[in-house]
Amino acid sequence: MLPTSRLVRRSVLTVDGANQAAVASASRADPDAIVLDPPEDLAAMRVALPEALTAAKRGGAEVFVRIDKRRAHAQLKAAVRPGLDGIVLPDPESAADVARLERIVADREREEGLLEDSIEILPLLGTPRGIWNVREIVNATARIRCAAIDEVQLCRSLAIVPTGEFDVLSFSRGRVIVETLAAVKLPLGIGHPLAALPREADHDEVLGVADRARNSGFKGALCPFPGWIAACNQAFTPSDEQVEYYRAIRKAFAEGIARGTAAVPFPGGRMIDVPVDERARLVIDWWERCQRRDAEKAAARSTQGERTA
Amino acid sequence: MPINNPRFVNAAWTRGCDGFTLDLQDSVPQSQKAYARTLVQDAIRNVAQGGGEVQVRINQAYIEADVAAAIWPGLSGLNMGHTLTSDQVRLMDACVSRVERERGLRPGTIEIDLSPDSVAGTVASEDLVDSSPRVKSFGGVGGYDYALSLGVEMFTGVDAFFYPRGLGSLIARAHHKSFPLSAQVADTSGSVSDADHAYAQAVATRKLGGRRGSGLHPNVVGPMTRGLTPPPEEVAEAERVLAFWRQLDAEGEAEGMLDGRPVDRYEAARAAELLEWAKACAEMDAYKERMVAETRAGLS
Repeated sequence: MLPTSRLVRRSVLTVDGANQAAVASASRADPDAIVLDPPEDLAAMRVALPEALTAAKRGGAEVFVRIDKRRAHAQLKAAVRPGLDGIVLPDPESAADVARLERIVADREREEGLLEDSIEILPLLGTPRGIWNVREIVNATARIRCAAIDEVQLCRSLAIVPTGEFDVLSFSRGRVIVETLAAVKLPLGIGHPLAALPREADHDEVLGVADRARNSGFKGALCPFPGWIAACNQAFTPSDEQVEYYRAIRKAFAEGIARGTAAVPFPGGRMIDVPVDERARLVIDWWERCQRRDAEKAAARSTQGERTA
Repeated sequence: MPINNPRFVNAAWTRGCDGFTLDLQDSVPQSQKAYARTLVQDAIRNVAQGGGEVQVRINQAYIEADVAAAIWPGLSGLNMGHTLTSDQVRLMDACVSRVERERGLRPGTIEIDLSPDSVAGTVASEDLVDSSPRVKSFGGVGGYDYALSLGVEMFTGVDAFFYPRGLGSLIARAHHKSFPLSAQVADTSGSVSDADHAYAQAVATRKLGGRRGSGLHPNVVGPMTRGLTPPPEEVAEAERVLAFWRQLDAEGEAEGMLDGRPVDRYEAARAAELLEWAKACAEMDAYKERMVAETRAGLS
């Protein structure tokens, strides 16, 4: 049986942590996770973060804080607190970068009385060295449960001016996807062209790009705009038609096995064997996990609504 | 083909294939694995009547039992699907060496074709590629197994295998192995019997320099073989390029223009390679024809 991550993280919305209205709005937009981008000023960060964290969690999203690795110690002092789910580490280039951050996170967990290893680290890969070393980065600690590619930053690092016409990051994207999945973790990204050229776009456009991202191996996307979230949640959740199709696959394969064959013809000229049946099992399982995650978020919003009322 | 399906195995030698893979792995249910092993020796003899090479695909979970069941005269190689570690390959190599000795086969005859057809296989590629001297070809990926490990749908038109294929080809070439190059022609139907797609895929593969194809249905054998064989007009053009190059060479020139196209030693080498490949294809076709005719004569 193929080892796969159990995590559901289809949409990860980044929001200005100092803008309380934006944070409140983000929590209503139904992302699976929110990344708070803290204010530059440390004093302002200390003031803004507690309230932002509470507000961000109201919709049932996991909440992360993005830190600057050059000021990691001071920022983590302010960021790591009860309720926080994880830290976003931009531009890690080696396992040592992750280890340095992890030591501080572990200290802060102890100081705050949090469960050991409860704070996740989400690497945001935006440099050529980080992409090349993705294997050691994603395997650096069990705190890493997913890894994301930051194509805007990667283009800057590579001195590439991105255009919608040419997709120049296929190899980098493929490397992140393959290495992250091999580590049994989730790769996040939306791919060409919106990842390198992020902008507000209508639902169908984001859905089309996110569909391609899913068909490339990504399991969720970073969303710079709340308007992307519904499309990403939809694209990274198996559709009802897919679930129905894969249930029919499982039934046909089980019938084939009962007849003594594991190479089973299927309508449309397709042939089902073990990996197709296993894929069917995983898609149905993934769909069920997405349903549970959506129910959790709905319950959080409902509880919040009752409190407000 | 699933080795436990006599309808497929008995008709295989009539299909005109250059090679066959007898499957002990995913197309054979767990309950029939042991029975399937007892069929291998006869199946090799049976399908080889058509003149094609014979390979057996074994289970990584049953390396010793499958190797012992698979190695018989007429076998050219073994394939281990889902190859994950160099230890598995070394175990396979040791088992093959032992069985070759026991059955009087020339040592080193049996090749190992690795299929690192998962993300874990790609990650382990640099360890796998040199894990046995029997490995001559490496790095082919794609298909349902790789799609499963990526968690992607097949037949969407998205080339999800771009990275593992590219990395696999680099690692194979860097370690002096051949790479089963295959052009990516979008397939949005998933039909295993689509002859038009098989032909288009084969032509595109040949134009990129690839020489191998594989399929799951007899319908695709002819189109694939035709598509991978240089057509007469390309053979004629290659002969013309080579003749022009020989003339240049005799005149002491290093390059010249033929109908507005530059011809140098690289072009000449490519033309010579195409002619060699065309000759090998013709020889293989003639051999298969003779083998099938002899088998039919023996049956009548």
